[in-house]
Amino acid sequence: MADKYLKKEALEKLIAAVSSSGGCFIAPTTDARQVVFKSVEKAADITHDYVLARNSYKEFVFPQTEVVATFAVRQHGIGLTGKEVAPKETVIFGARPCEAASLSSLRAVFTWDFIDEFYTKREDRTIVMTVACTTGDEACFCTTVGLSPESTAGSDVYLKETADNGYLVQAISEKGKAFVEKYAAVFEEQAGAKTKKLFMPEKIKGIDLAKITGRLKNTGHYDEPVWAELTRKCIGCGACTYVCPTCHCFDMVDEGTAYEGERRKNWDSCQYDSFTLHASGHNPRDTQFKRWRNRFMCKFSIYPDKFASKGCVGCGRCVRVCPVRLDITEVMEELSK
Amino acid sequence: MTDNKMNNIYLPQLVTIEDIYDETPDVRSYRLVFKDSTLREGFDFKAGQFGLYSAFGLGESTFCIASSPTRKGYFQCTFRRAGRVTNGMADLSIGDTMGFRGPYGNWFPLDQWKGKNMVFIAGGIGLPPVRSVIWNCLDRREEFGRITIVYGARTVSDLVYKEELAHWGKRADVTLVQAVDPGGQTPDWTGKVGFVPTVLEQTAPAAENSIAITCGPPIMIKFVLATLNKLGFRDEQVYTTLENKMKCGVGKCGRCNVGDVYICKEGPVYNAAEVKKMYNDF
Repeated sequence: MADKYLKKEALEKLIAAVSSSGGCFIAPTTDARQVVFKSVEKAADITHDYVLARNSYKEFVFPQTEVVATFAVRQHGIGLTGKEVAPKETVIFGARPCEAASLSSLRAVFTWDFIDEFYTKREDRTIVMTVACTTGDEACFCTTVGLSPESTAGSDVYLKETADNGYLVQAISEKGKAFVEKYAAVFEEQAGAKTKKLFMPEKIKGIDLAKITGRLKNTGHYDEPVWAELTRKCIGCGACTYVCPTCHCFDMVDEGTAYEGERRKNWDSCQYDSFTLHASGHNPRDTQFKRWRNRFMCKFSIYPDKFASKGCVGCGRCVRVCPVRLDITEVMEELSK
Repeated sequence: MTDNKMNNIYLPQLVTIEDIYDETPDVRSYRLVFKDSTLREGFDFKAGQFGLYSAFGLGESTFCIASSPTRKGYFQCTFRRAGRVTNGMADLSIGDTMGFRGPYGNWFPLDQWKGKNMVFIAGGIGLPPVRSVIWNCLDRREEFGRITIVYGARTVSDLVYKEELAHWGKRADVTLVQAVDPGGQTPDWTGKVGFVPTVLEQTAPAAENSIAITCGPPIMIKFVLATLNKLGFRDEQVYTTLENKMKCGVGKCGRCNVGDVYICKEGPVYNAAEVKKMYNDF
């Protein structure tokens, strides 16, 4: 499919078209002085001057909380009903190329052997419209983990801003091509518009992913004091895991009264001490550095080895949000030695 | 059952509590049957597999299936009142409804062990998963050699399956050694007094042509593995089950992994050689 062109003003038409066909349009918008992914109803609500939305868009495919079943106590036992999801078409506008790469990682976890249809049904209806970065900040490190603003992996539609206040549109996936065809009236033919220069974060020299994964493979690293030393300041707030586009951990919780209620799948975090705590009192990850080590291993050993996918896309959200400035790239540098 | 077009991997099946056995002051066993008649007849599992049991309104908890797959039409679980869910489960009565998801995980490769002597070593609430294998072997008795069971608990009252222990003790084709931790004995206690690894060393089952299966508190498992090595057991002859805290049971929730090993998917049954390759984090 030949590249298309999208005028910024035409976003208004696109939002209207998506909404009128029953879909939902998610875009970066300013809420409480923060840029966040949220459902928008008009183009004026979209924030264009941002590095990354504060939250990851994973919450639209893997909600913070969702009902998987409802139950009610009846005279003869329990009435149990499984919840079905019937997701609407969901357009994520303004994702960045780094985080676009994360859905395939989440999908790998949610589909190995047992298929979590709460996830897959949502993801199947999601269109990721990536806008390549023309700006960045010191927390960005996509180039260090093998991605860049030019990466199109995971994007359904990949947009580059043009000098004349529009976007050069590339449909990447089959889903993306179908999307551009469905809303063909909104897109124009490409007429040689000049694209803006992309922002390339500098690759962090001291980091070598192959070395990190190699070092994590050897169980000997487990007892090295480096873990406790590097992660001593972690307060276990779990913020890094909630903003991370590849973190997938969840809890299953029953909520309701003694007579009826629902079973929910809620976001959880491997950084909490209760996460692995057995009812007996035994806790395999009983100190914060072990929990931090687990998170790091998940990103740089489990995801690449088990799921052949990226555990870290270098979006830098965890770096920006950490209240004690525990920078994952510093740990990566240390583990690259 | 529910009419559900979507394949909902988190939706439990409903089971009825058919019978309750109070094993110790805080440990109970439930005999469970599926409400769905097709499942009731068709439910199949292997010794060592686990499930997630629901007390509706309180949540789900993970334990092994404690009965033998040779016993059809029902299955059993044994649990200690410890947390929110198990306390809720313990408050249920005969005829009440629970939820069950499973069977999940791998199993003890019994079919590879034909003709072997079987040594079972369990501590406290670690006996239930081992019991599934014990009955499986006893129900196929002619396929196995000598059967030795070493079981210990903190106190006499903490020994689970007391009636079955009495039965195994009487059987000529089973060697049963019972023990309680020092200070846990009663005046009429006729078993051993000592910790399981020590009692195992005194019992000294022959390593040749034998398979050892152990389950208990993590610290007990560590010492039992060392003792078995001392008795001449190679790591490949020793099996254990490493049940960890789980929420999904199907490799998604991120809780049960030991380093890069997902217990719910690749386990919970491992031999000692595999355990020793894992991170020391369980």
